[in-house]
Amino acid sequence: MITALIADDEAPMRDQLRARLLAVWPALAIVAEAANGNDAVALAQQHSPDIVFLDIRMPGMSGIEAARQLYSRCHIVFVTAYDQYALDAFEQGAMDYLLKPVTAERLERTCERLRTRLARPPQDIGAQLAQLAQVLQQATPAKPSYLRWIQAQVGGNLRMVSTREVLFFQSDEKYTRVQTATAELLIRKTLKELSDELDPDEFWRIHRSTLVRVDAIVEVTRDMRGRHMLRLRGHKEELEISRNHTHLFQQM
Amino acid sequence: MPPSQVNRALDGLRDALGELTVVWWRFVDWLALVEWRRLVIIWLLALVTLGFIHLGEQAVWFIFISFGVKVLAGGKRKAEIEARQAGIKANVANLEKQLTQAQMAALQAQVEPHFLFNTLALIGQLIETDPPEAARVHAHLIDYLRATLPQLRARGGGTLGKQCEMARAYLAIMQARMKERLQVTFIVPVFLESAPFPPLMLQSLIENAIKHGLEPKIAGGLITVRAQVIEATLQVDVCDDGIGINLHAADGVGLANIRERLQLLYGGAAELVIEAPLEGGCCASIRLPYSMMEQA
Repeated sequence: MITALIADDEAPMRDQLRARLLAVWPALAIVAEAANGNDAVALAQQHSPDIVFLDIRMPGMSGIEAARQLYSRCHIVFVTAYDQYALDAFEQGAMDYLLKPVTAERLERTCERLRTRLARPPQDIGAQLAQLAQVLQQATPAKPSYLRWIQAQVGGNLRMVSTREVLFFQSDEKYTRVQTATAELLIRKTLKELSDELDPDEFWRIHRSTLVRVDAIVEVTRDMRGRHMLRLRGHKEELEISRNHTHLFQQM
Repeated sequence: MPPSQVNRALDGLRDALGELTVVWWRFVDWLALVEWRRLVIIWLLALVTLGFIHLGEQAVWFIFISFGVKVLAGGKRKAEIEARQAGIKANVANLEKQLTQAQMAALQAQVEPHFLFNTLALIGQLIETDPPEAARVHAHLIDYLRATLPQLRARGGGTLGKQCEMARAYLAIMQARMKERLQVTFIVPVFLESAPFPPLMLQSLIENAIKHGLEPKIAGGLITVRAQVIEATLQVDVCDDGIGINLHAADGVGLANIRERLQLLYGGAAELVIEAPLEGGCCASIRLPYSMMEQA
């Protein structure tokens, strides 16, 4: 008997796929269903199915990661919502895939292919999977490593301030002052730590003790003493630019 | 002289020079803007008064220097000052443009194509496997679209009650997909249902809670929507017990949009506060000025 496992985080999706498989391939036995990648791997190890239908986007382990652990033991069919990057990779790697919502005709063709493939051992798709994992990672927004949220203790609560809200950071004696359009907060993180972790295109150092948000800058003027002063959108206070940082504004 | 004294003397000198520069630039600014006619009168006065106390030579120097500065640098300085004022005006115009744009954006449909696509696919599946559930999800989708699409949006949709209704429709659809992985609690007192509340903000916070908090969590979790009045503030919280905020993930367009609209609608009187509770997850809270009088 030929056995299969279905993994998808949405129950209605699993129900539909099971119903459609029953219609086009009555002899196929669905031995298990999983709602996430981790369960898919565990259940596949337990039941050793011949075929695994894997959704790509699942909580915990993704379909791709699960496939990397299973491809040598069973035939993998990916089931995915529309994603041009993934589809291109599937086509290039000659991998089996189904597009959600799964149509009966398409499922029939895939099952036809699977029946002929089952005679042979599963194809070695390790290299394609590694490539696919990379492609999908690149498709998700880049620059994930910069700090995007500042944590500040306010009363008994831990306030989360998006860096997009911050107008500037200024180091005080013991603390760092975080200024937003509506609030002023104090954090323990030093300016040095911040400037190492923040996106250098998002915040500029204009002074030994000041980091400012670049898109909040309105203009730079010289004050009576000839110092370069910076004005920010929605904030009254002017910030001093120290001599060794004025070069940042030469072109402006 | 010991070095400390030298330093002090140098500091003093630097301060004095600094003050002098300030005075000098003020003088230049004044010269740049003052009318010639007035300047001539001042010269005459200076000549007479200083001449009277035998400082005629200084008066001549004053006239000579101020004439030179005004002719040589006055025009440029005046242009700079005027440019700055024009810049402030341009800023105001720019702000007005931003305001209209933000209002337009708020009015535009915010239905995510992905959500619509997935919901239609879900209804398709349910028609085959569970027709009564398909009918329920279909009805929720219509409620949701009625509240979301500007062409269909009923007038007076900007109350907390209406916004909660729409959020419930959205959550019911998500529950049909996520099943037991999504639990929902609403704690909204009846008397607050008529309170004015801007459209699509609650919705946006709930979408975030599901997308970033619960969907990536294997066990799923609970979303709590709570409204309360604290002194003169209406506070609406959306809390989840999901995986919490990733400190390195940028906040989406949704949050920026809420902040911008709160600023436009209420100035500094309203805010969006995000907190990380000790027990995990994330709490987003919209705080608006609230007056009992509006209710009467």
